[in-house]
Amino acid sequence: MIRPVRMPIHDPVSIDDARPADELSDAVLRQMLPRLRRFALRLTRDPAQADDLVQSTLERALTRWPGRRPQGDVRAWLFTILYRQFLDAQRRTRRYARLLDWFAGADAAAPSVEREAIARSSLDVFERLPEAQRTLLWLVCVEGLSYKAVADLFDVPLGTVMSRLSRARSALRDLHEGQAGEVHLRILK
Amino acid sequence: MSNRPIDDLVRNAFVDGQLDPVQRQEVQAYLQAHPEQARELAAWQRDAQRLRAMAGQDSLPPNPALDPAAVRARLRTRSRRRLAMAASLAMAVAIGGVTGWSARDMAAANRVPPMQDAMQAYRMFAAADAPRPDLRADAGDLQAWLDGYFARAHRLPDLSASGFKPVAGRLLATDQGPAALVIYDNAGQRATFYIRPPGPGNQFLPQGSRRDGDLLARYWSGQGYNYALVTSGNDASGASAPVPDVVPS
Repeated sequence: MIRPVRMPIHDPVSIDDARPADELSDAVLRQMLPRLRRFALRLTRDPAQADDLVQSTLERALTRWPGRRPQGDVRAWLFTILYRQFLDAQRRTRRYARLLDWFAGADAAAPSVEREAIARSSLDVFERLPEAQRTLLWLVCVEGLSYKAVADLFDVPLGTVMSRLSRARSALRDLHEGQAGEVHLRILK
Repeated sequence: MSNRPIDDLVRNAFVDGQLDPVQRQEVQAYLQAHPEQARELAAWQRDAQRLRAMAGQDSLPPNPALDPAAVRARLRTRSRRRLAMAASLAMAVAIGGVTGWSARDMAAANRVPPMQDAMQAYRMFAAADAPRPDLRADAGDLQAWLDGYFARAHRLPDLSASGFKPVAGRLLATDQGPAALVIYDNAGQRATFYIRPPGPGNQFLPQGSRRDGDLLARYWSGQGYNYALVTSGNDASGASAPVPDVVPS
């Protein structure tokens, strides 16, 4: 008796739906690259360091993708990796500075003085905000990440993100509105 | 409605344009009633626009090293290198393991208990139905025969106090040269005197004794040779009596 062989039915639509992002394509990454570099530059304030940060982010994203692909927004996932790498690098730098300090007995506060000078001379008051507030505002206002994605990135509850965001916006507003007075003071000096 | 204070989520969502039209109208109505808040949210919106304008000015020169294809290629090279390193590490471990194992085997070979050959010789030649010896005591001088092979060796031990008399001698071969077995007899009981060159690496033996099955061997070294006196361990007189006479001080 001959039975009909059942052929597997390929439905192109359903297959596409089942695997929305099976691989992290070069096209997607290339599209994201300018934003990642811009964000990295904001964080590090140094083009070479920014590109190092982006490179290690891409490497980590590519090696992690098979096991830990994001549930939702690939963009938010990449930003999160980049930010975590930045924090790690900062922590390492601080440790190294402490170590140098311990050996040399030098003044550990020196970098922050330099940083303050940069911030003061910067044309934009945005630079005077603390790093966490700058990053938060950048991700929400410039990159347009969802509040949920930002909460995941900072690893805090959504409510915390909202109150921090309000605080950051108030702080930025104060800086902008205080700038006028400061210019007057400078002229008077 | 317009009097209820609005929370951080609503205020920020209003600024970021993430409210649906209905919510948006509600907030706008609220803000009309609260001009101070309206000014604040307007300032927030202005600041956000400034920030976006500033971001638009940021530009970095193209960096080919950051192209995803280049990053992928580097990752592949790195993983290949790691694989090679892991392989050479595994190879080193394997070589070390094999070497260590064979060294262990060699060490085990060196750990043969002392005077094992003397014991075996007793078993083979001291039995009643042993093959014919090379020389019998009644046919020649055992001491002179022994001196022919082992110059300046210890004299044959005198076990007559225990009733043992030498009855026969047999020449044997070892890795290091000739060895000899002299069989003593005491009314059917057997003891053997075994003489051989020192073992591999010129190993002389500390004075001692050991038991192997029903045999007891006492051994010592002297005058360039190793010696053993093997008796049947069950035989109390043979086991204990002869030795004090023979062991040199």
